[in-house]
Amino acid sequence: MQAVAGVVVLASLYVLLGVGYVLVYRASRVLNLAQGDLMMVGGYALFATVTTVSASPFIAVPLALAVGAAVGVLVYALLMRPMAGHPVFAAVLVTVSLGILLRVAVVLVYTDQTRYPLPAMDFSNPPVRLPGGAAVSALDVVTVASAAALLGGLFAFLRLSRLGIRMRAAAERPLLAAQRGIDFHALFALSWALASFAGALAGVLYASNVRLDPSLGILGLKAFAVALVGGLDSLGGLVAGALIVATVEVLTIRHVNPLLSDVSPFLCLLLMLLVRPWGLWGTREELERV
Amino acid sequence: MAYGSGYFKTTYEADMALVDTRLRRLALATLIVGLAVLPRVASPFVLELVTQTALAAVGALALNMLTGLAGQISLGHAGFLCAGAFTVGILTESVKAPPLVTLPAAAVVGGLLGLVVGVPSLRLKGLYLALGTLAMHFVVLYVASEYQARWGFNTGVSVPAPTVAGVRFRSGVQWYYVLVAFAMLTTFLSVNLGRSRVGRAWMAIHDREIAAASLGIAVARYKLLAFVASSVLTALAGALWAYYRSFVSVEAFSFVVTIEFIAMIVIGGMGSTLGALLGAGFVTLLPYGIDAVVGALAPGGAAPYWLFPLKFGAFGLLMALFLVFEPLGLVGIWRRARTWVVLWPLRYAPLRTVR
Amino acid sequence: MARHLVLALLFVATFVAPAPAADAYRIGMSVAITGPAAGIYAPAFDAYKVYFKRINDAGGINGHPVEIMFEDDRGEPSRAAANAKKFAEGVILIVNASISPTYKPLMTEAEAEKIPLLFGGGVCPKEAFPPAHPLIFCSTSFGAQWDSRFAVPFIKAQAGGKAKVGFVAQNIPVSQAEMEFAEKLARELGLETLPVVVVPGGSADFTPFAAKLKDGGADWVLSWAPWPLEIGVFEALARIGWTGRYVTYAHQPAQDDLARLKSPNLFAFGGNALFTEALPIHKEIESAVKGQTSHPPHYLVEGWVSAMVLEQALRKCGWPCSKDKLAQTLATVSVDTRGLRGGAIEWTADNHYRQRAYYKVYRWDTGSRAVVPVGGWTRLDVK
Repeated sequence: MQAVAGVVVLASLYVLLGVGYVLVYRASRVLNLAQGDLMMVGGYALFATVTTVSASPFIAVPLALAVGAAVGVLVYALLMRPMAGHPVFAAVLVTVSLGILLRVAVVLVYTDQTRYPLPAMDFSNPPVRLPGGAAVSALDVVTVASAAALLGGLFAFLRLSRLGIRMRAAAERPLLAAQRGIDFHALFALSWALASFAGALAGVLYASNVRLDPSLGILGLKAFAVALVGGLDSLGGLVAGALIVATVEVLTIRHVNPLLSDVSPFLCLLLMLLVRPWGLWGTREELERV
Repeated sequence: MAYGSGYFKTTYEADMALVDTRLRRLALATLIVGLAVLPRVASPFVLELVTQTALAAVGALALNMLTGLAGQISLGHAGFLCAGAFTVGILTESVKAPPLVTLPAAAVVGGLLGLVVGVPSLRLKGLYLALGTLAMHFVVLYVASEYQARWGFNTGVSVPAPTVAGVRFRSGVQWYYVLVAFAMLTTFLSVNLGRSRVGRAWMAIHDREIAAASLGIAVARYKLLAFVASSVLTALAGALWAYYRSFVSVEAFSFVVTIEFIAMIVIGGMGSTLGALLGAGFVTLLPYGIDAVVGALAPGGAAPYWLFPLKFGAFGLLMALFLVFEPLGLVGIWRRARTWVVLWPLRYAPLRTVR
Repeated sequence: MARHLVLALLFVATFVAPAPAADAYRIGMSVAITGPAAGIYAPAFDAYKVYFKRINDAGGINGHPVEIMFEDDRGEPSRAAANAKKFAEGVILIVNASISPTYKPLMTEAEAEKIPLLFGGGVCPKEAFPPAHPLIFCSTSFGAQWDSRFAVPFIKAQAGGKAKVGFVAQNIPVSQAEMEFAEKLARELGLETLPVVVVPGGSADFTPFAAKLKDGGADWVLSWAPWPLEIGVFEALARIGWTGRYVTYAHQPAQDDLARLKSPNLFAFGGNALFTEALPIHKEIESAVKGQTSHPPHYLVEGWVSAMVLEQALRKCGWPCSKDKLAQTLATVSVDTRGLRGGAIEWTADNHYRQRAYYKVYRWDTGSRAVVPVGGWTRLDVK
């Protein structure tokens, strides 16, 4: 039971991070390798608001999330939009350098010290007992709930709202969408804002639940492998991928070798690439046979 | 490159020569003499920097072959370096193998790894390939850290100085010569590959794979060749790194190293040998350059804290700037400068030129 | 055009070297100021900066200033080697505060140039323990095997003789080797032990590893690793509702996290007195570093103690002090740490770690709502 709870919590974290990859890839076919660092920035945004603006979580958390979304829009406007027309590889490299810059900016302001926003918010993180003798922390439960809420919200948005449908249209055929009068730069900016929002949410929850330090970005790479296993342009696939990878990871820690935990998402990824490269529910069009 | 006037070669030998004009021959000779004489005039620190640049240049050239010429994105460069270094470490530690055994072994291991990574490349393109190589990087690092975990106090495997033909390679000057020679050989190899059938096939595959296939190029074979050639060279670089540092540890091969090499070829200019060399020099020397500039501007007193993250982030910033504003990299700047000098006071070449 | 000028300037500037001061003690320091390990070692940089600025402002040592060349090695062996080569021109001592992969290149260079090497923050290499290498010295408070030789009997005493003990290590050789040593020691002392749980340092979630310990039925857990892992595993154990006792080495952030977590089950032991004891020396350090460091004052203690040792060695060495003379002098220091450690740091020709290792344990006391020591200093003789 503890293993199952662990799997669900880990999968929720991967989902929160992976949403960013899926949204940006669907919209602009760009791999945002800075998603982990966006998560870290979200965590530091929370720390900043908690220490400077207000210690109440009801103000600090939404403010941090807003800052996260704003960072996403800024990134698109300043960095990604000028890269329109450049080869995709160059755009990916730009996201890599973005990650480095975000990290340097954070270290310049906050140094490398590990930070803990939770005590400043006067919130404790008590264990929550589950049936079967398992226990998770309160924030773990919040993480799972947030991931579910975010996914539900995104599904509703993309399928039901006009803006969401426009986003999907712009992602599928930018030229046609532009000719229909859809401003796809604004929509790409929106997708980046949503991706950054999701990353910031992951960062806020992780910083409160575990810790906050500048090296959190490395989690982004693992979530990357998860997004790929599920299919880079499918939110549903992301959930499936996250559950699979989290299960493999927890089981290998418990029964095989704890040191494999870092590398198990990538082993899953390698397996997926050999068997079904476009992921569980991704679209097939990216592949060309030789 | 634009010429101020027409310049025509009259023999096949002249056309095929690597170094064709007298000026170029003179420049090359000066460079070689300069490099040979450098240990006598430079401090050990400067020598160390040049040696590190030479080693970085080999890695950058190898990556350029794969990503610049053949267009196969690889995010696993550090993994190949690690494989080469650990082959040396493991063989030296367990069976006390001499360098004449470990170096070829490292090359073979690198080649096999390149094959393993290259086979999925036949099915995957672009970003999926990049991810496969990234996954390979983590797997290689995991295997290496498992091996390293069995070793005692100082994290990592010690490698004693190699003895080849009775000469023990220990001093900085010896390694300078060895690594600079290695870099020159690799440059030579890279330039020739670029001009050869293999290089042209790679560039064709890079541009349009289907068109290349319809021209009769065996795409699968050349793709694999790109991976294997690049990985063999990188593994050899890693092996020499292990001997040079006399120490191998997993921490030296993090993902940041891959990013550094990619930055080298991006900043230098993708697809060009000169670009790889310039990029390697730039990225390796940039932190020290910043040091020197800051030291000249604000002498005395301990360095401010913000300088250090800045040095770390500088190449990230520069990579972004080059990608957005100067996609052709340092080579693009060099070529523009050269054209300006050659054509001055005119701005445009008066005749259509062959090159 | 501007771009080209800047690039050319940068290229030329590489060859411009700053002029050294002629009559100063020249020390080189290779520190992980940035990079993954910077959180642990960057405070040593600040400590040395503040400490020797104070000394230089007061007239220096034996009338001469102390000039320290700080270089960032980012925890990378290549950079450490480049730093060492840079220092080789004229320093009489190299200080290292960085992670263990940087040790070998520094030691190779130090041996080649016969420069003494002082480890002031990173785990002590075995060359500092008896029989000691003539050039390698270590002032860091934690040391392999001796920490376990204190911690395991402490657990046995606290548990009343019978306990089931789990061990947590990070996937770095020093930590793994130490916990395996501790596990063996525990079995020899008659305690029931669980196999060592090795945790990768960069793990997002320590819960599965904590679950392994909880399911194994550990009532005590000993952990010896970098602090983020030590405290991360404890927090994960607390999150899944484990009620056992956790003993771990008190690295710099210890007092903050003891106060943050407010758990009576967490015991942090170490060689340094925590600043919560508010000794005069703590107050002195706090006022000296105010405004000069972005780290909390108690993070600087390892660097400060190391700087104290260096100061005494330089004073004893006199002027002029060559690297050979300094190496010999270091082997004779006896430094009064004024309460920062349990006693003096004494080095001999054979022992460059310390003659006596002192340990104190701290925990959070729910009654007085403060971090309090558990007993006094325990002394172990290092042979």
